[in-house]
Amino acid sequence: MSAITLHNVVKKYGAVQVVHGVDLDIAEGEFVVLLGPSGCGKTTTLRMVAGLEDVSGGTLSIGGQVVNDVAPKDRGVAMVFQNYALYPHMSVRQNMEFALRPMKLGKAEMDRRIAQTAGILGLDALLERRPAQLSGGQRQRVAMGRAMVRTPKVFLFDEPLSNLDAKLRTQVRWEIGKLHQRLGTTVLYVTHDQVEAMTLADKIVIMRDGHVEQVGTPEEVYAAPKSTFVATFIGSPSMNMIETRATGGRLVADGLSIPVPTRFGDRVKDGQEVTLGIRPIEIQRVAENAPGAMAARVEVTEYLGNEALLDLRVGSHDLMAEVPADQRAAPGETVHVRLNETALHLFDTRSGRSLAQ
Amino acid sequence: MNKLSTRQTILIYLALGVVLIVFLMPIYLIASSSLKPSPIMFQKPPAFLFAPTFEHYQDLFAMRPFGKFILNSLIVALGSTAFSLTIGSLAAYAISRIRHKRMNDVAFWILSMRMFPPIAVVVPYYIIFKTAGLLDTPLALIIVYSTANIPLTVWLMKGFFDEVPIALEEAAAVDGYGLLETFLRVTLPLAAPGLAVSAVFCFIFSWNEFLFALMLTGSEAQTATVAVMSFWSSDAVQWGRIMAGSFIILIPGVIFVLTCQRWLVRGLTMGSVK
Ligand SMILES: Nc1ncnc2c1ncn2[C@@H]1O[C@H](COP(=O)(O)OP(=O)(O)OP(=O)(O)O)[C@@H](O)[C@H]1O
Ligand SMILES: [Mg+2]
Repeated sequence: MSAITLHNVVKKYGAVQVVHGVDLDIAEGEFVVLLGPSGCGKTTTLRMVAGLEDVSGGTLSIGGQVVNDVAPKDRGVAMVFQNYALYPHMSVRQNMEFALRPMKLGKAEMDRRIAQTAGILGLDALLERRPAQLSGGQRQRVAMGRAMVRTPKVFLFDEPLSNLDAKLRTQVRWEIGKLHQRLGTTVLYVTHDQVEAMTLADKIVIMRDGHVEQVGTPEEVYAAPKSTFVATFIGSPSMNMIETRATGGRLVADGLSIPVPTRFGDRVKDGQEVTLGIRPIEIQRVAENAPGAMAARVEVTEYLGNEALLDLRVGSHDLMAEVPADQRAAPGETVHVRLNETALHLFDTRSGRSLAQ
Repeated sequence: MNKLSTRQTILIYLALGVVLIVFLMPIYLIASSSLKPSPIMFQKPPAFLFAPTFEHYQDLFAMRPFGKFILNSLIVALGSTAFSLTIGSLAAYAISRIRHKRMNDVAFWILSMRMFPPIAVVVPYYIIFKTAGLLDTPLALIIVYSTANIPLTVWLMKGFFDEVPIALEEAAAVDGYGLLETFLRVTLPLAAPGLAVSAVFCFIFSWNEFLFALMLTGSEAQTATVAVMSFWSSDAVQWGRIMAGSFIILIPGVIFVLTCQRWLVRGLTMGSVK
């Protein structure tokens, strides 16, 4: 059974529509990440699931029950807020108790759960402190603890790591992943950080301007992006995009002519404007006379230790290549590179949609 | 903060001393006059050392049921304070949370209730309460004082509610609490300093009020402020008793303010968001 289903869900603020017909199906126990640039409607979608925003259109179900008009308190979801929203007048223990009280569990069971959650999150020593006496990372854990003690059907996270420093973020990210494996609760997680999305998600939902752009596993959205937006949004450094025109079975642009890979079959029409995408790591240095070699001028070199990033100029196009550090070249040098044919992505320039099957 | 030099410290204490004297002098005069035997009451220069007497206090309670008047004052002041805080905070919460372009107009309209001169409405009030059979009852004064106290409470509390992050209420909603419970358990405790300030203002205003209390009460519901003035008659002013009554009147106000003071803490919402 699906834990959460969104069917053509729409959100309007007055005349402004910010979420346009989102369809999404989240299975029980799945870790789903809503990923997208700022302002694309991730938080709004999450808040609709929590019941903190009205749904303007479509249906939203949790556990098979339509909840469009169900109050947040009756939805059985727990949420970790971006700014944690801890009750400042209560100690850590009281924060957790407060979340438990509506469940009417009895004192012994409440204490047992609080002790267990505090143990898992390492909050034992902090139980009697007020939020103001905690560090950012500790507050983050309390916010998670407050959501966890309730053992909810669904966890909602809104950018829970964005207020932490880089090191802590990696650590807590890892802890969240571990927790999900252990508890197996359904999670809907909002972020604009693709590393979080790639490492945590069973399924990534990429949003753009209130639309769902693509839904897929991390592997799918990385290896088979359905649009130029997803292609450039996922992956770091981001995919190179070159606008070409299909001419006689080849993709032609200034300083560049590549045969259309056979796997695209007859979907590339002669004269069609095609955007060619290639990840930096799929551009290799080759000998001048190797098949498919193109001349490129090195503009900038960035040395990263194991590998190096080369800013290349091919004709009038800029390409970024990621090569083993020992193959780097000095700026101003001319090198020869080849695009890995099997890793080429082709998109219709007009619609931005992928031409792959 | 910079450390103050000895000279600065001395100057500051001197200034504070002057201010203290200015404010404490009337209280001293009331207290000392209430204990002075009548013959030396107006002696010049005033007697600083004298054998204190409690005769004025005894007279006060013997000649008039002053204990009852104090009780009336307490009922009226506490009643109006409780009523105003309840209605005022609920109204303030609504004004703070409902997003509507005319909400500021509503808030101003409520505040404008405080702007009319009291003397202008004494007669209408008298007629209304006479018709309603409420003349000379504490309820009449509670209603009148609340019309002044509620607008003040609304304005004070709105400011405090505005400071409580909405995210906290959303967290409570997701945690399983309804609107009223969220208000009572999350929002209101965080606005406690506002409640304390409002309570002090409401109590002091109701406790000290004279005009309405004089016009709307008789022997039954008379408050202490009015009762004290009854020792001021055309043929004699009994200063000793007036001073004794005044001193007693001071006490509950001081106790109330000191009690409320412990809620006047800053930064209650610290550590909640971010
Ligand atoms: N109360 C509101 N009234 C009008 N527009 C709103 C309101 N709240 C959000 N929006 C708009 O809805 C859009 C989506 O906002 P949302 O907060 O969901 O973005 P987001 O994807 O979470 O972005 P971020 O990564 O910056 O948090 C934005 O364009 C925003 O301006
Ligand atoms: Mg957001």
